[in-house]
Amino acid sequence: MKGLMIKDLMCLRKQMILFAYIVAGVLVLSIMYVLSARYGNIADANQSMMAENSLSEIDINNISTITLICFMLTPIAMVGDVTTIFKMDGKAGFSNISSILPLSVNKRVMAKYLTIFMMFGIGVAVDIVISFVLSKLTDIISFADFFGIIISAASLMIIYGALVILFCFLFGYGKEDYAIFASCAVILITVILANIKKIKLIFTSLSVGNSDSIDFISDFMNFIIHKSFILLSIAVIVVAVSYFVSVEIVKRKRGMV
Amino acid sequence: MQRGKNMNVIEIKNATKDFGDFKIDQISFAVPEGSVCGFIGQNGAGKTTTIKLILDVLNVDAGEIYVFGQNIKDDSAKLREDIGVVFDEMGFHEFMTGKDINIMMKNIYKNWDEKVFFDYLKRFSLPVKKQCGSFSRGMRMKLQIAVALSHNAKLLIMDEPTSGLDPIVRNEMIQIFREYVLEEDHTILLSSHITGDLEKLADEVVFINGGKIVLAGNKDDIIEKHGLLKCKKDDLKDINESFIVYAQSGTYGVEVLVNDRRACAKLYPEMIIEQASLEDIMLFYVNRSISGTYGKTSDRSDATE
Repeated sequence: MKGLMIKDLMCLRKQMILFAYIVAGVLVLSIMYVLSARYGNIADANQSMMAENSLSEIDINNISTITLICFMLTPIAMVGDVTTIFKMDGKAGFSNISSILPLSVNKRVMAKYLTIFMMFGIGVAVDIVISFVLSKLTDIISFADFFGIIISAASLMIIYGALVILFCFLFGYGKEDYAIFASCAVILITVILANIKKIKLIFTSLSVGNSDSIDFISDFMNFIIHKSFILLSIAVIVVAVSYFVSVEIVKRKRGMV
Repeated sequence: MQRGKNMNVIEIKNATKDFGDFKIDQISFAVPEGSVCGFIGQNGAGKTTTIKLILDVLNVDAGEIYVFGQNIKDDSAKLREDIGVVFDEMGFHEFMTGKDINIMMKNIYKNWDEKVFFDYLKRFSLPVKKQCGSFSRGMRMKLQIAVALSHNAKLLIMDEPTSGLDPIVRNEMIQIFREYVLEEDHTILLSSHITGDLEKLADEVVFINGGKIVLAGNKDDIIEKHGLLKCKKDDLKDINESFIVYAQSGTYGVEVLVNDRRACAKLYPEMIIEQASLEDIMLFYVNRSISGTYGKTSDRSDATE
């Protein structure tokens, strides 16, 4: 199993180099943003908007937090391209090799999951370092809150990764783009269905000019910062289901991995 | 079943696999330990499918397959520790070097011997640090063979390893296979439609056509028994039907593959009977299957066409 994981990591070698550049870029940009939001042009702009009553302090804080969340999500999102391994395996015809190795189907499937989680682990570790640096530079958001965001983001990416792996096995080689589309669709539909009442409320309030949408953003941020354990629990369940279903798919479609 | 003398390393009993448009139909054969078994058949005859069934890459619909005396359904993953496999396509990622493959394999095979692996790479003149995507077909095959031979495999299963290779590389490979079977407990199952290679190497031969085994046994016995009888079209009617595998028009008359050369030689001393090659035997059996006719009467009509 370790050998397959090593092979998968070799497949991701180029992606890892790109990842290193992106992490460096994100770190620089986020530090610039934080410093500007505290002492520079962004801070001045925020002050003037508050003076003109166009935005409240809460709104500005939300915007700053969302911006930082976007920075934080980038490293985790960058390690999340699970399909690279499947694309490369399919192109090489690696199933010829993997199917004759002295590894059970369970172990061969498990290797894929562990590789992906290892990549997410790297993303999380990098994010923790970045958030620690940023939390020392700003009072917009604390390290504890950053940590909540990281767990939420990682959980979301794990859910996405687990779904992509499942769909890649289901659809077969050469259909990785469909797997991405299906995974995004499942996540989007689930989020919409889970928040259907709030979404209706936002559209209603927007039509009458209310600011309930801002409350929705506050609720959303509150959820991902302080209730990350919910997403983490969902991620664990999705991974377990995805793994067992994938094993069954691969057993039925012999020669897939 | 224990490992030991006269043990069958591979034993297939009535294995069936139905794909709808193609079927492996109740095939049975055995490969004795220490032998080289040539698995012959034209393209699409079912060689690769049978190999995949043996390796448990595909599930059998019915029947049983034993490898090293154990049913492959029991623990095929463990059994594969002792099996080296070479497919006609490489399967390694093009960016991988010999070094990368060594790192991967030593973390998969318990008995992986990296010294043996690098020795083979050196012997085959394969660069260790060059990406295998830039290798020629011959080099790719050699790389696969190096991998298959580097984990102390007791059984080597190869699917068309020599197809598409030039004669020099093919001979080089045959030499390697010969060296491999010098060890008493080493066995080879080699699928090919290049019968010349198998004539040089194989002890046993299994003939598959249209998903059915048409002939199986000791290669020398098969070659010894079969003969290519050449006669005039009019003489065909004199030959006992039970001897005729298939008859077809030749340059100067009719060529008949007979299944008992010595008996025919005694019965028909005036007719020329040559020793049949594996290729002749394969072609006549395949043609018989294609025409769907067996025996003299139909063969005669074919011969007169």
